[in-house]
Amino acid sequence: MRLDIGASLRLFGGLSGLLERVRADLAAMDIPAQLAVAATPLAALWLARTGGNAVCPDLAATRERLAAVPLPALQLAPPLARRVEDFGLRCVGDLLALPRAGLGARVGKPLLLDLGRALGEIADPQTCFVFPEQFEQALELPAPVDATPVLLFAAQRLIAALAGWLAVRNGAVREIECLIDHGHGATTALPLAFSAPVHQAARIERVLKERLDAVHLPAPALALRLAAGDVTPREQRSHALFDGAGQGDEALADLMDRLVARLGPQAVQGLACHADHRPERASRPVAGKPSATLQAPPPRPLWLVEPPEALPERHGRPQRGGALVLVAGPERIESGWWDGGDARRDYFIAIDAAGRRLWIFRDPRPPGGWFLQGVFA
Amino acid sequence: MNPALIGALQRGDIRRGDAFAVAPAPARCVPSGTFASGFAALDAELPGGGWPRGALTELLAGHEGIGELGLLAPALATLTGAGKIVVLVAPPHCAHAPAWAAAGIRLDCLRLVFPRRPRDALWAGVEALRCGGVAATLLWLDGMFRGGLPANSLRRLQVAAGEGGGAAFCFRPAQCAAAASPAPLRLQLQAAGGQLRVQLLKRRGPPARQAILLDVRQPADFSRSISRVVAGPALPAAGERPEPRRVPA
Repeated sequence: MRLDIGASLRLFGGLSGLLERVRADLAAMDIPAQLAVAATPLAALWLARTGGNAVCPDLAATRERLAAVPLPALQLAPPLARRVEDFGLRCVGDLLALPRAGLGARVGKPLLLDLGRALGEIADPQTCFVFPEQFEQALELPAPVDATPVLLFAAQRLIAALAGWLAVRNGAVREIECLIDHGHGATTALPLAFSAPVHQAARIERVLKERLDAVHLPAPALALRLAAGDVTPREQRSHALFDGAGQGDEALADLMDRLVARLGPQAVQGLACHADHRPERASRPVAGKPSATLQAPPPRPLWLVEPPEALPERHGRPQRGGALVLVAGPERIESGWWDGGDARRDYFIAIDAAGRRLWIFRDPRPPGGWFLQGVFA
Repeated sequence: MNPALIGALQRGDIRRGDAFAVAPAPARCVPSGTFASGFAALDAELPGGGWPRGALTELLAGHEGIGELGLLAPALATLTGAGKIVVLVAPPHCAHAPAWAAAGIRLDCLRLVFPRRPRDALWAGVEALRCGGVAATLLWLDGMFRGGLPANSLRRLQVAAGEGGGAAFCFRPAQCAAAASPAPLRLQLQAAGGQLRVQLLKRRGPPARQAILLDVRQPADFSRSISRVVAGPALPAAGERPEPRRVPA
């Protein structure tokens, strides 16, 4: 890999700072690497092959250092390498000591051109690396893995790659597909969904951890694959001057994502009103804007008992740990004959012996009876 | 009085037995302090003049349905009115949206979490409390555990509340009143006629001498004649009639 760092030195705090960062990132990804800095790309490549962490930021130092590079580092074609060795040449310096014109006739034009490029005499344009349009990366595990912490650790490398890919595109994703390969065609798919587009590796890791903890692997994992869904442009928010709400919003989105990942999507709900007279349909467990159709509603309980609890009746009065005292009512609710959920009920507020305030109804149609449907808390 | 004693009494870290203690500053910079409960009589008895942030508050209700949520409703209405998020962990029943909206609570600021396993319930509670984006967390954890809440759970919740800095209200059965608890504020709630009797079992400060009687939202009181016919005439109730009922003209 060749990096053009000439324009980036100031940003990363000088050459030593930049090198330190590259080394730290490589160590974090557990990739063994030889680094070399030179004035031309080809010289850097040869120096890196030689090893010894050569750092030659200018052309003069590069030429000086190149002279000591042994010829095998050039990786010449075997016949040429043998011929050059037969001349008694050991390092690049020996090559450079010979007259150029004669050398071209003896070792061929390509090597001469390479020497010119390495020494900065001939321009050496490089093609830039282009990030792929779609992110999909796989990781073979060195051994079959059963334990989810180990799997999460392995996935961290893929997540770091994804975060880097997103950073280049200045994008964020809402959905990530994580595929665990068990071999023999058996796979476990772990789709990760986020309430808001994410790009931070730490947040993706936390959600994946909850998903991995909740899932039961049928067999040890052999490989991991991570694929990003549709990329949306990252939302740019300027930092609040004082400790603003933006931080809290992000923390909340992170909390909701983790709760959904571990407990399942149906376990985390918002609340919204729905224009219906039947109480069991007037409340909907969805995240959304409450409808604004409420005009001075009659008293309603905060808790709804679902399904309504049948109450015994004695001497015409409903019982629940003793006779209930009806303190208000009745309120007739009759609705729903058109959608199959026909309801005709007379609602009362009742107080039981312990002081609980309950919302009960009597069904006037046969077979009738009293039901507990709410608790005023 | 001895001048040395006076000097000692004026130190910030000395608390006199007859004064409210100032909550220790949390390690992380979180908005601590209190917020008004909406009941002047209760605020006067609470240290700092309101419900505490960043600390666990235990509400020990003898029974459900005596107005235990009505006690919190004004504070929750204020919080959600400012766009703050309130999370309900393992509520005992389905929430009835029109009633919550009628209590002044913004529904889009409510999040309900229904964990299935007790371990998940405790985890969800701790995570919600630790989250800085949640202004108040209401927990009903005792119903999830067969043998009651494990002893160290309250400690975990208290620590999590300190990290997150939001208010934490843990609803617990009245039998837990005798057990020791790490929560700095414990209230016992009882029905007393049409009112709610609040006894402060524990607070940072001198022990409360007498219980407070609060007029929480009473569904039966604020509209005696709710005989509102939605569709069709109301049937006469079978059997004997309750006394306070009035037939609308």
